[in-house]
Amino acid sequence: MSLSVDQTMQAVHSLSNGLTLVMERVPNVRSAAVCVLTPAGCMSDPADALGSSGVLADWLMRGAGDRDNRHLTEYLDSLGVQRTCAAETTFMRLSASMLSEQLPTVLPVLADIVQRPRLPDDGFAPAVDLSIQQLDAIEDEPSQKLSLLLRRQHLPEPWGRDVVGRREHLKALTADKLRADYHRRFVPQGAIISIAGNIEFSTAADWVDKAFGAWKSGAPGDSPAKCEGPQRGVLHHQQQSNQVQIGLAWDSVPENSPQSIMAKTARGILSGGMGARLFSEIREKQGLCYSVHVGYQAFKELGCFIGYAGTAPDRAQRTLDSFLVELRRLHQGVASDELQRCQIGMKSSLIMQGESSAARAGAIAFDYHHYGRPRTLDELRRQIEGVNLDGLNVWLAQTSFEPATVVTIGPQPLEVSLQR
Amino acid sequence: MVEFKHAQLGNGLDVIAEMNSAAQTTAIGFMVKTGSRDETPEVAGVSHFLEHMMFKGTARRSSADVNREFDAMGARNNAFTSSEVTCYWAHVLPEFLPQSLDLLADMMRPSLRPEDFDMEKKVILEEIALYLDKPTHVLYEAVMADYFGPHALGKSVLGTHESISALSQPQMRQYFDARYGPGNMVLAVAGKIDFAQLMDLAEKACGHWTHLDVQRRYEQPIAAPRRRHITDPKLKRHYIAMMCPGPTAQDDNRYGAQVLADVIGDHDGSRMYWALVDPGLADEVDFSFYPHDHAGSFFVYASCDPARREQVEAIVLTELKKVTADIATHEIHRSKTKIATSSVLGGELPLGRMRNMIARWIYNNEYKTLEEDLARLQAIDQAEVSGVLRQYNFEPMTITTLGPPVD
Repeated sequence: MSLSVDQTMQAVHSLSNGLTLVMERVPNVRSAAVCVLTPAGCMSDPADALGSSGVLADWLMRGAGDRDNRHLTEYLDSLGVQRTCAAETTFMRLSASMLSEQLPTVLPVLADIVQRPRLPDDGFAPAVDLSIQQLDAIEDEPSQKLSLLLRRQHLPEPWGRDVVGRREHLKALTADKLRADYHRRFVPQGAIISIAGNIEFSTAADWVDKAFGAWKSGAPGDSPAKCEGPQRGVLHHQQQSNQVQIGLAWDSVPENSPQSIMAKTARGILSGGMGARLFSEIREKQGLCYSVHVGYQAFKELGCFIGYAGTAPDRAQRTLDSFLVELRRLHQGVASDELQRCQIGMKSSLIMQGESSAARAGAIAFDYHHYGRPRTLDELRRQIEGVNLDGLNVWLAQTSFEPATVVTIGPQPLEVSLQR
Repeated sequence: MVEFKHAQLGNGLDVIAEMNSAAQTTAIGFMVKTGSRDETPEVAGVSHFLEHMMFKGTARRSSADVNREFDAMGARNNAFTSSEVTCYWAHVLPEFLPQSLDLLADMMRPSLRPEDFDMEKKVILEEIALYLDKPTHVLYEAVMADYFGPHALGKSVLGTHESISALSQPQMRQYFDARYGPGNMVLAVAGKIDFAQLMDLAEKACGHWTHLDVQRRYEQPIAAPRRRHITDPKLKRHYIAMMCPGPTAQDDNRYGAQVLADVIGDHDGSRMYWALVDPGLADEVDFSFYPHDHAGSFFVYASCDPARREQVEAIVLTELKKVTADIATHEIHRSKTKIATSSVLGGELPLGRMRNMIARWIYNNEYKTLEEDLARLQAIDQAEVSGVLRQYNFEPMTITTLGPPVD
């Protein structure tokens, strides 16, 4: 085991079983936050068991180690631990926030959940049932349904998957099958645990060694192969709703690309603050919608932009057309004051994130996944400042912001003419 | 080191500040004691529409200037309107306090230009349409209307397509003039602050506002057992809401009620959780305490498969009956710990402290440190919670449901 302290504010510690501990000191807080990422997100769902990671996230919390379902919940509550366990695309994320003095008591409990879940028989059916109910709940909310359809339509397998999965797969899932699957997926190789708070690194590392050191290594999971075949193009889903839901997607760079900072800056120009282009041009000047925005979603392997607008059926065509105009206008570049406002917004968000131990715990864990090390707020600030006007404008001129996928939900399809 | 200061401008505007020298940021907000409960039926939704219009410019600034200036400070900023208050806030780096105060204060004296009014009306109508596609929101508005009946708290915050379409700019101006007096507002700042500087800035930016007497009408809501199902054939799920009387925002019973609500219906580890979510009968269940201004209620929300609606509803009612008989010390203790931790974690962020402090001032005209709040929480025992249960026995209950047709 090695304890390598990069700086006084961050440290990385590798356990011999393959688990990595990443830490950051957040001064002046009484809280500590822990994030455990296990490579068991929906990307690792077996092809005939889509949605099983979502079921597992629920089942994991139904008792662990010496504690049954009720005792586990009551014990964490009695320690005042705020926690969630949720499947995401790449990882299963177990997050916990608490007062820092509880950390040595809580870490072994989190270790139990990850390494020794009881996965009780009587908890399996309810966990599956709740996942199926999630599928129905999404049907009742057109905006959620849109985001799910858009990902499926645009992203290649397995990145386009969603945590809720498929009804027929969930119905066919058995407790034995999911238990075996837990053992395959929950291995320390590729798993990351992060802690942020007013902590002492070597002490916290000792606690983690003690709690997670015995986690047995298994065969590391295969990295997913990028499959061809997202359908892309235009998809309309007929549904009676008060608003038409419009979703757009187009490819961008992966998170660890040196150009991801350009993509993040472009997102800020489009959709960073209230003065950003989409809000200003589509909502403020034309009053076309209440909600309009763009996000940059990036993984280690690929990245994309996702755009959203919701509006009345009689104004949906104009909203979509105006959205495309704004995307195409990016090629002409941005003005210096526009870039400056965007960068101030990005830097200010960083400082605000720095006040929250929970936000920092999540951020450094994902930094380690993407970059192999945590990045300090100062480094992130320098990266934002490193984008200059000429460089950004050259990048914008050369980069396509033309959606490859347009998904709509509403009473009528829209006319979509995409430039190739 | 945290220190509190309060001062009042000559026109009646309260300025409150919680200064924390260790904070990295500053949160600033104006809260106005006005919301949908203060509206007459012909201007339903005006409080919320006005909140949008406050961003549309002043004598000194265009709408684009307002947005651009917030962006230029890197501010996180927004506003919200409830049935009782309207709040405008910004979270900024400490060096931007003067600029953000100048901007927010200027916004509090808006131009309300007719052309901006017409444009923003379209956005409001879109927001109304957006929420009509969210079953939880449709149900919330329906149960509030059913429970409060003719009482002002039963009104929709957003208004309706019809009321907003019919609203005129002079009506909004009249509402603004009647409600946005400095004595009906508070300016709160939390984080890294110099109070003397803050008072200079506040005097310069708000000192010239004219004093105005503003009153809120208080009537007692009349609770009654009521039941309604709203049919929406396209829905896949059945949504349940229930409301019954609870302590008000001014009642000392509110502390015990908060602990009680956590014991009964927190999203994890509560009685409702074990009875409904753990066995997979409902995917969501929540029991909350809503302390309103001189009115209070308890609120239940659950969603389930339509086939299980009767079972879920019966379990909710059984659990409420049971808890009045057998609430235990260890449950109370656990809930107190959960609430205490969540207050401490929320209090680490200046925005969290500002929002807590500003609402407290509007509702109770008081300030409490986090430590005082925690001490009050720790003092809650079984006798106190049982007292709340004796006084509020979850009756009479209004039940409103939404979903596909029921037999």
